Amino acid sequence: MNARKTLTVVFFLVVLGVGHYSMNAAPVVRDDTHTYQGGLEWETEPSTAFDAAQSQDKPVLVYYWATWCTYCERYDKNHYRNETVRAALDEYVLLAVNIDDPGNGTGLVRQHQATYPPQHRIMTPEGETVESVEGYIERDELLATLEKGSEEAT
Amino acid sequence: MTAVVLGLAVGTWLLAIGLFGSVLATVLLGYEYATGDQSFLRVSKAAASAAAGSLVIALLYLTSQFLSEDYMNAYVWDNTANYLPTLYKVTGVYASNAGSVLLWAMLTAVVVTTTLLLDRYSARGARLSQSLGMGVVTVFAWMLVNESPFTPLSTRYPSVAANGIPQDGSGLNPLLVDPFMAIHPPITFSAYALMVVPFTVGVTHFVARLQGTQSVFDDWLGSMTRWLRGSWLLLTAAITLGGIWAYRVLGWGGFWSWDPVETSVLIPWLGLTAVLHTLNQYRRSGRYAVLAPAATAALLPLVIYATTVVRSGVFRSVHSFAGGGIGSGVLFLLGTTSTLAVGPAFVHWFRTEQSDTEAAGLLDRATIYHAAVLGFILLAFVSLWGLTFPVVRSLASGVEVSVDARYYNLWSFPVVVGMLLAGGMYAQQERFSTRVTVGTAAAVLVAALAVGVALARPEWQLASTEPFDPAYYRAIGSLSVVTVLPPAVYFAGAWVVRYVGRLRRLTGRRAKLNETGIALIHVGAALLIVSVSFVYVFSTTASVGIVGATELDDTGERIVRDVEGSPYTVEVTNYSPENTPTITAAAMTPAEAGAVDTASSVILVKGEVTAVQRFEETTIAQLNGSRVWVGADSGTVQFEEGSVIVARGSLSDPRSENIDALVYTNGDNVGPVSAPPTNAYTPRVVEHQYDVQLYRGDTLVADGTVAEQSYRGRDMQTNDPLIKRGITGDTYVVGTRTAGGLSIEISRYPLANQIWFGVAVMLVGMGLVFLFDPASGAAGGRRD
Repeated sequence: MNARKTLTVVFFLVVLGVGHYSMNAAPVVRDDTHTYQGGLEWETEPSTAFDAAQSQDKPVLVYYWATWCTYCERYDKNHYRNETVRAALDEYVLLAVNIDDPGNGTGLVRQHQATYPPQHRIMTPEGETVESVEGYIERDELLATLEKGSEEAT
Repeated sequence: MTAVVLGLAVGTWLLAIGLFGSVLATVLLGYEYATGDQSFLRVSKAAASAAAGSLVIALLYLTSQFLSEDYMNAYVWDNTANYLPTLYKVTGVYASNAGSVLLWAMLTAVVVTTTLLLDRYSARGARLSQSLGMGVVTVFAWMLVNESPFTPLSTRYPSVAANGIPQDGSGLNPLLVDPFMAIHPPITFSAYALMVVPFTVGVTHFVARLQGTQSVFDDWLGSMTRWLRGSWLLLTAAITLGGIWAYRVLGWGGFWSWDPVETSVLIPWLGLTAVLHTLNQYRRSGRYAVLAPAATAALLPLVIYATTVVRSGVFRSVHSFAGGGIGSGVLFLLGTTSTLAVGPAFVHWFRTEQSDTEAAGLLDRATIYHAAVLGFILLAFVSLWGLTFPVVRSLASGVEVSVDARYYNLWSFPVVVGMLLAGGMYAQQERFSTRVTVGTAAAVLVAALAVGVALARPEWQLASTEPFDPAYYRAIGSLSVVTVLPPAVYFAGAWVVRYVGRLRRLTGRRAKLNETGIALIHVGAALLIVSVSFVYVFSTTASVGIVGATELDDTGERIVRDVEGSPYTVEVTNYSPENTPTITAAAMTPAEAGAVDTASSVILVKGEVTAVQRFEETTIAQLNGSRVWVGADSGTVQFEEGSVIVARGSLSDPRSENIDALVYTNGDNVGPVSAPPTNAYTPRVVEHQYDVQLYRGDTLVADGTVAEQSYRGRDMQTNDPLIKRGITGDTYVVGTRTAGGLSIEISRYPLANQIWFGVAVMLVGMGLVFLFDPASGAAGGRRD
C-alpha cells in the first residue's frame, strides 16, 4: 500500500474518532428532567420545582427563554456564569420554561403572559408572583431583584 | 393584477409549462442517451428552452408583481409593503422559500439549457448529463407548482382576501432590508446553479465507466474547472457579504458565529475548494481518477444539504429567515442527488482493479498534496457533523446537546495548522530538497508548539476551559492562539518563494498572471486565517446600563457612565425616535381614499380642508376640493379651512351627490400635519437613535449614533452599531433597549479589517486564475 492510501485510511479513522468523541463530549442542554441554561441545572417540570421549593422553603425563579433568543444568550454568558449571581441563585429553586415548547409550563406562561423571551418571575413556594423582570437587565439590577425577591418570597 | 385562468394563476401556468418542458426534455434526452437515436434532438432542445424561458418569464412576472404592489398574490402580500423602496421590493422576490426556489430553478434551467444549445457538447454521454440536469430542474418545477409563489391571496389567506384587496402588504423580514442582503441571494444561487453541470458530468462519468463507454469528463474538464472557479468566486463573495451583513447590520457583534446558516454554506465552500485542488492534480497528472469526479459530483448534494439546513427548520438557527418547512421536494432532491453522486462512484471504485499503482512515499509531494486535500474534507466533515450530530443524538436518546463555537473552533484549529504546514511543504518542495523541506516544516511545528505553550496566558488561550471539560478541549483550548502564526508565516512565505521562482521561469503574460493569482489566493488565505483566529481570541466586550437614556433630548443634558471592566467612559447626549413611514407618508391622499372600495374599513387620510359644513350632530370637511370628506361629531373637532390635516377614521359611503367617501373620525384621531395625532397610527418601524460619545481616558474614541429598530407585529429588533474602524482593529458600540433604559455594549475587534483584506486578496487571486489560466476553458481538456 502506498503512502497516499495509508493516509486515506488514517483519515477515515480520524473522521470516525472525531465524530464519536465530539458527539459524546457535547454539553447537554436538556435531558428528561432538566435544562442547562448558562451551565446551571434548571427544573423543567413546574410541579417538581414547587415541590422542591416547599420542602426547602426557597422561592422559585422562573426563566422564560427560547433557543433563538440572543438576550437569553447574554443572560447565560454574562449573568449565570458569574460567581456572585450564582451565589444569589443558591437561595432559589430554578425553573426554566422554553416558551416555544412549554410543556406543563403552559399554565405559567399564560398566567404571566410571557409572550416573548427573556423574562423572569420570582414566585413564592405557594405560587404567588412577587417580582417580575421583562426583557434584559444588567447584572447589578438582576442581583438587586434577586435579593429583593428572596426577602419578599420568604 | 393576478389573472386566474382555469382555476390557476397565470404565473402558476408558467411554472406548469416549465415543469412540462423539463419533464419532456429529461425523458427525451435520457432516451437519446439510451438508444443513440438523435431524431428527437430538436424537440428536446425546444422543450428545454421552453422550460428555461418560462421560468425566466415567471421570475420577471413575479418581480413585476412586487414592483406594482399586487397584493392579490399571497406571496407578494406576505413579503413586501408599500413603504419599501424599489430595491427592497425586488429583494422581497426571494425573501421566502418559493421565490428563492424559483430563482434557483431559473438559473439552473438556463445553465443546463445553455450546454444543450451550444453544440460543443454533443457526445452521447452529454445527453445523459443534460438529462440529469433537466431532471434537477423538473424537481424544482414540481416543487414550485405545488407551492406556487403565484397562489392568489383568496386561496392562501381567505380571511384576509374577504375584505377586498389589501391596501398594504404585511411586510418584508426586517433582517433582509439591507443592500448586502439584496445581492447576497442572487450571488449565492448563481454559485449553486454553476455546480449543477459538474454534478451531472461527474455522475455521467461513472455511469460511462460502469458501462465501459467513453466518458465526457475529460473533454469537459477545462470548461468545468472554469465554471467551478466561477462558482468559488461567487460563493466566497456571498459568504463575505453575509459576514459583513452580520457584522455591520445585525449589530450582533460578529461576522461569524457558527450559526447553522453560516456553517452550512461553509461546507460546500470547503468541498469546492477541495474539488478544485483534486481537479488541478487530475488535469496535470491523472491522479484522483476516482476522487476528482466523485467529489465534483458530491458538491450539489452538499449545497442541497446546506439549503435544507437553512430552510427546513430541522436545525436551530438564530436566523431562520424563511420560516416553515420547505417540504419533501428538497429532501427528495437531497436523497436522489446524494445517491447518484455516491452510488455509481462507489460501485466503480469497488469493481475496478487498483489502477493507481504509482508508488508514493510518505514525504513525496503527491502525498503532502493529498494530506492538504484530506484536510479540506476533514474541515468540511467537522462542520457537517456539528450540524448533524445534535439531531442524531436527540433522535437516538432524546437528550438535547448543544454545539457551540468551541466545538467548531477547537476541532478545526489543529486541522488548519496541519494544512498550513502541508501547503507550505508542498510549495517549498518545488525548489528545495525533501530533506530541507521536512527540516523547515519540523522547525516551524516546534516553534508553533513552543509559542503555543509559552504564550498560553489565559486571555490568549483558544478557549476558556473548566476542569470538567473533555480532555481534548482542555488540551487544545489551553494552547495560545499564537500557535497559528509560525505555520501561517511559513505557508505564505513558501508560496511567495515558489511564486518568485516560477515568475522567472515562465514566459507569457497569461501564465504569469495565472501564477500571480495562485500566489495571491494562498497568501490571502494565510492572512485570513491569522486575522480570524486573532479576532476570535482577542476580542473583548464590556457593557453598562444607562437608566433614563430615553428621557434625553438635545437640550445639552447628558448621562456619563464608566464602563466597568474596560478603559472606556460612555456619554449619551440625545435620544430621538424616528418612525418609518411617518404618519403623513402613510396617510392616503383623497384620491387614493376615494378609490378604496371597501365600506367600513379604517383608513388614514391627509389633505387640505377646502370646505366645512356644520350640521346639528356632525361637522364635515372637504379635502383638496375632492369628493372625499372627513367628518366628526359636532363640537369634538375644529375643522378650519386652509389647514392641512391628517385623520384616521372609518370609511363609509354616505350616498350623497357630492360625497363619495366619508372618513368618520374623532378628536383623538385628527390633527394638523405639523402636529399629527400620536395614537392614531403605529409605524412599521421605529428607530430608536441615541447619540453616543465613547472616551478612553480623555481621548474621544468614537462619536456617533447607535440605533435599535423595532418592528410592528414582530418580536424582533435589529441594531445599527457605531463602528470606529482602525488598522489595529475596530471599536464597536451597540445600544439595546432594556427594561431599565439603554444598555451600551462596547467591543474591541483587533485585526477586524485584515479579515476583509485577506478575503479581497483571495478574490483578486481567483479572479486572475479564472481569467488567465491557460489550461482552463473549453480547450482545456486533460493532458495525457
